[in-house]
Order: sequence, then structure tokens, then C-alpha cells
Amino acid sequence: MSIYIIFALNALLFASVLFLLTAGLNIIYGVMRIINLAHGNLYALGAYVTAWVLLTVGYQAFPGPLLYIVPPIIGVLVVGLGALIMEPTLLRPMYKRIEEFQLLITFGVLLILEDLFLLIFGPYPLSVREPYTFLGVSKIGDLSYPNYNFLVIALGFIVAFALWFLLYKTKFGIILRATSLDREMAAAMGVNVKSLFTVSFVIGAMIAGLAGGFIVTKDTAVLGMGIEALVLAFVVMVIGGLGSMKGAFVGALIVGALRQIGTAYFPEIELAILWLIAAVVLTIKPQGLFGR
Amino acid sequence: MLLEVNNIDVNIGAVQVLRDLSMNIDKDETVVLVGRNGAGKTSTIKSIIGLYPVKSGKITFDGKDITGLPPHVRATRTGIGYSPEDSRVFPDLTVEENIKLGIWLSKHEKMSEKDMEETIFNIFPELKRIWNRRGLYCSGGEKKMVSIARALSLRPKLLLLDEAFEGLAPVVVERFIKAVNQIKQLGISILIAESNVNIAAKVGERLYAIDRGEIIYAGDPMKIFQDQTLLNTIRGY
Ligand SMILES: Nc1ncnc2c1ncn2[C@@H]1O[C@H](COP(=O)(O)OP(=O)(O)OP(=O)(O)O)[C@@H](O)[C@H]1O
Ligand SMILES: [Mg+2]
Repeated sequence: MSIYIIFALNALLFASVLFLLTAGLNIIYGVMRIINLAHGNLYALGAYVTAWVLLTVGYQAFPGPLLYIVPPIIGVLVVGLGALIMEPTLLRPMYKRIEEFQLLITFGVLLILEDLFLLIFGPYPLSVREPYTFLGVSKIGDLSYPNYNFLVIALGFIVAFALWFLLYKTKFGIILRATSLDREMAAAMGVNVKSLFTVSFVIGAMIAGLAGGFIVTKDTAVLGMGIEALVLAFVVMVIGGLGSMKGAFVGALIVGALRQIGTAYFPEIELAILWLIAAVVLTIKPQGLFGR
Repeated sequence: MLLEVNNIDVNIGAVQVLRDLSMNIDKDETVVLVGRNGAGKTSTIKSIIGLYPVKSGKITFDGKDITGLPPHVRATRTGIGYSPEDSRVFPDLTVEENIKLGIWLSKHEKMSEKDMEETIFNIFPELKRIWNRRGLYCSGGEKKMVSIARALSLRPKLLLLDEAFEGLAPVVVERFIKAVNQIKQLGISILIAESNVNIAAKVGERLYAIDRGEIIYAGDPMKIFQDQTLLNTIRGY
């Protein structure tokens, strides 16, 4: 019995990270209508920076709960800063061009970031386990489960709630949704679309960075992690529907559960199962479960 | 003059949609722009709010050159409210949210949300009943009201109404004309684009006729009925 509880928790854990990845991708797509191929590498950047801070400064420098707050926040801020530079310089000149150019430029950024990781952090994975192991384990029946995973699961739900609140209950969120529904009309109503693009891009990127900052002490920061994450976020996006926050939430839960079932019972075809489900959804409902 | 449009040329892609177009609107004036389908009414309005850039010519507002200003600045600072021809109510937002956008975004001294609601309910009491309805579920006429109220919530000095009466039943048209007069009483100048000559002549204090992107008549609305050729051009036969 307890093994199934652990399966469920693992599914939630995976769903939480996937949600954070897809939520950012969706905000950017929703407002800017750009699929940010560099998104996975912004997540990786958050992971690298967090690990680098912990390794360089030493985890001892952050007493108590600060260990779980300061390093990831530094990671998030670096990612935010990167996004703040990237949007006006690299993306903005492409808005008037055809969509393929926008896709290409984000692909270019993906490659540049990957090379920068290699250049700055070297070819070997960065690993810092202390924050993960310090939290200990909980007993579930006669099995044990790392407490850190509960933290990551909670993070996913907290960000989901915060995003829902931001988008539906605040003036900023309502303005953002109006702009994603009809950009031209929003501009004529007084929305500075140019700066809203920057803000949305930075918010989306920072959520990805946050996911990276929290996952890195559980896994490692390693070359290629961004692309792997991007591919999975795409599956969630396809299942949930482009630009839909509800879709990101439900899609992440579905993919999290499927992935867990895959790893537990059909490890050889784990990824194939995900693609198969994505293909089925695309066939039955091409716009995804919650897409329009 | 509140608004002066001086000799503007506007191109969309390779097509010139407005040619050497000039018009002006005084304070407290209700002006109509009439012309058949494709004449250039919407293009004129979009150039005034800044959604279409002008290739040459100049637009001034309250004596200030606004030709190069982006639409959001014209909406929030210059004081131009815009209600487009297909209403373009934000479908996922409630009527309330659609309208409050303008209050939140406006940059002049703000009216409280309460006072603004009161002003709007005075003009369109119908909106009270659908205040929490999502834009998606509003009828065509309701969408028009929301769209006009939304533009008003910016507290504009000039209101641009593109096809404000299109698709409305005759009695409802009367109702909207009443609303336009109430808006005028608030000290707001109005420019209405209209393809129906009879309605245009009825609401406008002054009239411009446009055809193929050029102004072909400016003056007293009633006088157009004396010129059969002009009338035929406007009506499109
Ligand atoms: N985005 C566009 N691309 C190409 N041509 C356009 C565009 N917008 C307008 N036009 C052309 O410019 C001309 C003027 O169009 P406009 O929409 O201003 O006319 P209108 O007077 O508002 O017509 P209607 O009564 O049908 O709304 C038309 O010939 C139209 O085909
Ligand atoms: Mg038109």
C-alpha cells in the first residue's frame, strides 16, 4: 500500500516541476504569442546559479530556513535579469517579422545558454545535496520518503495559487489577460503593450528559474537538463492547451501521473507513453484540453 | 480646435487607404464621418487613436502634436476614447472588468470607481443587470454599450465611435442616440463613423463624407440631401 502513496507523491512532485515550467511558458505565449524555446534553459540557468551559489559561498553561510530561500532567490533574480536583457535586445526586433524568426531567435538563445553553461560551469554536473538531505525523511508505512520532495510539491501548489490570484484578482492580472485576448484593443485602452511584454517575459522566466533553483539540490545542474525539461513542458502544453493556465495545471498532473506509471511499470517506453498520450489528445482535441 | 487632422496619408502595406485627409473637431462638438463600406472611416478613426501610423501629415490635439504618440499614450494622457466597430469587448473579462480597465489605466486625475459607475449607469442603466456577466455572453447591443462605457471610463475629451449603431433595431438606435446626447452633455466631443446617411444626418452637428480615402464633403449634415450625386456616392450606388 505505502508504495502506491509514494507513487502518488512522486507523480505530484513531477507534476509540480512541470507545472512551474509550463506556467511560465504559457504566460509568455499567452501575452506575446511566442513559444520560448529557451525556456528550458532558463530553468537550467536557475539550477546552475543556485548550485553555484551553494558551492561557492558554502551551504553553511545560510543558516536555518535561509538555506531554502536565499540561494534559489539569487537563481531566480539572475534568470529575471537575463530575461530583462534578452527581451528588448533579442526578441523585440523580431516582433514585426514572421513567427519563424521569433522561434529561431529563442532557439538561438537556447544554444547560446547551453554553451555559456559549459563555458562558465564546466562539463561536469554541479551537485549540492545538503539542503535536500538536511530535511530528512518521513516514514510512510515501512518506507521512507524525503521531506524535501514535500517542499517542492508545496511550491507547485503555492505558485499555482499565487498565479491564479495574480491573473484573476489583481488589476495587473486583468490588464494582462485583456492584452492576451486582444492586444490592439488593449493598446487603445491604454495598455503599454511593449512594457507588458517585458514584464510577462520576465515573470515567465523567473517561474522557470524558481523550478530550477529548487530541483537542483534534489537532482543536479547538468548540461542538457534544459532541453529535456522543455520537451516535457511541450507535452504538458499540448495536452493542456496553448496559453491555458488551467491546462498547465491539469496537464502537469496528467503527465506527472503517466510518467510515474511509466517509470514504475514500463520503464523502457516511459517517454513513448507521454508522446502517445499527447498524440491522442491532439487527435481528439487539437487545441488541447483547455485551449481555445 | 480640439482635434486637427492635417493632410494625412495612411498606407496599409502597399495600399493607400487615406489620401491627404484633413478634418477637425471642436470642443463639445458631435461630428459624423459618413461613407460607404470600404470608404476609409475605420482607417481614419484608427489613425486618430494611433493604431495606424500616418505616412505624412500631422495630427494635433489641444494644440499639441500627437502624430508620433503610441495609442496607449493617446488613450491615457491625450484623452481619446475609442469604441471599435465590432465592439471588441474582452470575452473572458466581466462587463465590470472591461469597463474598469479604463479607470485603472487612465492617467488624468481619477474619478473614483463609484462615481464612474454612477456616470455610466446613468447613460446605460442596462449595464447594471449584466455587470458580472462575461463579455463572451453579452448580446451584440450589450457589447456596444460595454464598448462605449469602456471608452468613457478613460474620461476622454474626445470619443471615437466606429459604427455605433450598426446592427441595432430601429428603437434601439433611438436609445443609443439618446446615450450619445447624454455623453455630449458631459462635455465630451464625439466623432462617429457611420455608413447610414439618415442616422448620420440625425446625430451629427457637422458632417464629413469620405470616399476612397478622401474627404468629399464637409459641412451641414442636412445639406447633403440636396446633392443627389454626393448622396449616391455615400450610399454606394
Ligand atoms: N488591414 C488592412 N489591410 C488591407 N487593406 C485594408 C486594411 N484595412 C482597411 N483596408 C482597406 O482600406 C479601405 C478602407 O477601409 P476601412 O475599414 O477604413 O473602411 P470603412 O469605411 O470603415 O468601411 P466599413 O463601412 O465596411 O467599415 C478598404 O478598401 C479596405 O479594404
Ligand atoms: Mg469600418
